[in-house]
Amino acid sequence: MPASSSKTPFFQLRKPVSRRQSLISALGIWVVFFGVWVFASSTGMVNELLVPAPQQVFATTFELFFGRGFASDVLISISRVIGAFAMAAAVAVPLGVLMGSFPAIEAIFSPFVSAWRYLPAPSFIPILLMWFGTGEAPKLALLFIGVIFFLITLIMDHTKNVREELVETALTLGAGRGTVVARVIFPAVLPDITVALRQMLAMAWTYLVIAEIVASTTGIGAMMMRARRFLNTDEILSGIIVIGVLGLGFDLLFAALHRWAFPYLRKAR
Amino acid sequence: MTVDAALEIRQITKAFDLGAGRSVTAVKDINFAVERNSICVLLGPSGCGKSTILRMMAGLETPTSGEIVIGGRTVDGPGRDRGMVFQAYTSFDWLSVRRNVEFGMKINGVAPAERHERAEHFINLVGLGKFADAYPSQLSGGMRQRVAIARTLANDPEVLLMDEPFGALDAETRWLMQELMIDVAEKTNTTMVIVTHDLEEAIFLADKIVFLSSHPGRVKEEIVPAFKNGKRIGDKERAVKLDGYAELESKLMHLMREEGRGIE
Ligand SMILES: Nc1ncnc2c1ncn2[C@@H]1O[C@H](COP(=O)(O)OP(=O)(O)OP(=O)(O)O)[C@@H](O)[C@H]1O
Ligand SMILES: [Mg+2]
Repeated sequence: MPASSSKTPFFQLRKPVSRRQSLISALGIWVVFFGVWVFASSTGMVNELLVPAPQQVFATTFELFFGRGFASDVLISISRVIGAFAMAAAVAVPLGVLMGSFPAIEAIFSPFVSAWRYLPAPSFIPILLMWFGTGEAPKLALLFIGVIFFLITLIMDHTKNVREELVETALTLGAGRGTVVARVIFPAVLPDITVALRQMLAMAWTYLVIAEIVASTTGIGAMMMRARRFLNTDEILSGIIVIGVLGLGFDLLFAALHRWAFPYLRKAR
Repeated sequence: MTVDAALEIRQITKAFDLGAGRSVTAVKDINFAVERNSICVLLGPSGCGKSTILRMMAGLETPTSGEIVIGGRTVDGPGRDRGMVFQAYTSFDWLSVRRNVEFGMKINGVAPAERHERAEHFINLVGLGKFADAYPSQLSGGMRQRVAIARTLANDPEVLLMDEPFGALDAETRWLMQELMIDVAEKTNTTMVIVTHDLEEAIFLADKIVFLSSHPGRVKEEIVPAFKNGKRIGDKERAVKLDGYAELESKLMHLMREEGRGIE
C-alpha cells in the first residue's frame, strides 16, 4: 500500500475506491479463500475424500475437459439455458411492456401471472416428466416456468415507471397509442429490461442445475450426480466452479451489452 | 367572439373525482380567448388550476363541462396542433438532440429532406447548433428545455402550450430563456399559452395576462400590459426600466396577496 494515505482514513464514507485498490481488494479475498482451502486440505484438517485440495480440483477440471469430453456437457447446459431463456424473454418482453402500458391488458394477465409466481417451479418437475418424458422438453419447460413469471412482472413494473411526461409529450406531438408504445415507452424502458434479463438469467442457471440433477443424463448437473455415485468430490467441485464461471461470464456479457447498447446513459450529469 | 382567436375557452368547469363520492372543483366557469400569434400568460397562486386549464387545452384532461375550441374545432384529446412543453425534462434520452427535434415530424410522416431542414432550423433558432449530435444527458437543464421547445416548434403546432417551462432553471438561465421565447415568438409567429407563477416572467412575456383566483379557479382579471404599447420588448433589462412596469408588477403583487389571503 502506498504511504500517501497517511492522513485520509482507509474507510471513507461513500468515497469510491481507486481501480488499483479495488483490484487488490478483489484478488485479496480470493487469495485468502484459496489459502485457507490449501492449508486445511494439506494439513489434514479436513477429510481429503470430502474436500480435495484446490490444485486437485483444477487438475480434474482440466482432465474433464480434455480427457473426458466434459465440453459437450457444458455446451448442452449452455444451450438449454439460452434456449429456454430466449423463449421466456420472447414472451415476457412484449407482454410485460404491454401490461405496463395498457391497464386493460394488465387487468387480464396480472392476476394470472401473480398467482403463478408463488408456485415454486421445481414442484412441477414430476408432472413435467410425465408430460414430456425424459428428453429436452421437461428441462426447457422447467426453466421457462421458473423465469417467465418473474420476468413479466419485473418488466411490467419497469414499464410503469416510464415517466408520464414522456408519454404525454409524445401524445401532444401527435403520436397514436401504438407509436407511443413502440417509439417512446419501449426505448425508454429498454435499459431496465436489459437489467431485468441479466438478473433473471442468473435464476435460469439455478433451475438448469436443478433440472439436470433431478432428471438428466447429460449436462453439468448430470455429470455432478454421476460423480457422486463414485465419490469423486473433485469432479463435483469442478462442476460447481464451471457453473460459477459460466454465470459470471454471462453476467459480464450482459453488462458489456448494456454499455454498448445504451451509450447515452454513460455521461449523465 | 373574436374572429382571430386561435383558442377559445368556453365556460369550462373541471371537477376531479377523489373517490368515495367526493370531488374537488379545480376550475369553474372559465372563459377567455387566446388571440392568434399572441403570447397569453396564465398567472395565479399555487393550486388555482393553471396546469389543469393548460392540460385541458392540450387534451390531456377532459373538462367536466364547457368546451375548448381551436380553429373552429372542439378539443377532443391530444393532437399535434397543440404542442406542449412541461416543467420536467422530457427529452427522449435515447435520441440525439437532432433526432429529438425530428421526432414529431417523423411520426407525422414529414419527408426526410424537409425534416432535416426544419430540425436544423429550429436547433439553430434555440441556439443548440453545436450540440445537434449530443445526447440530452450531455446537456444542461436549460439546454434540455431548449431541445423540448425546438422539438415542439419543429412539429409546427398551431398553439404552443408551456407549463412553468423554466421553473426548474436558475435565475440567469431563466432570464435568457424568456428572451429566447420573445425572439422565437417574433420569428415564428407561434401562438403561445404560458403558465407561470413568476410575476416578472408573466409581465415580460405576456401580450395578455389571464389572472386566476383560487378555490375554485376563476378568471379574476384579464390584463394587457399597457406599458408595452402593443409591442414586445426583447430585452429584459430594458423592459423592467420602462414606465408602467413597476406599476403593473405592484398591481399583480397585490392581486397575488389578495388571493393568498383567501386561502388561509
Ligand atoms: N389529478 C388530480 N386529481 C385530483 N385533484 C387534482 C388533480 N389535478 C389537480 N387537482 C386539483 O386541482 C387544483 C388545481 O391544480 P393545478 O395543478 O391545476 O394548480 P396550479 O395552478 O397548476 O398549481 P401550481 O402553481 O402549484 O402548479 C388543485 O386544488 C389540485 O389539488
Ligand atoms: Mg401547475
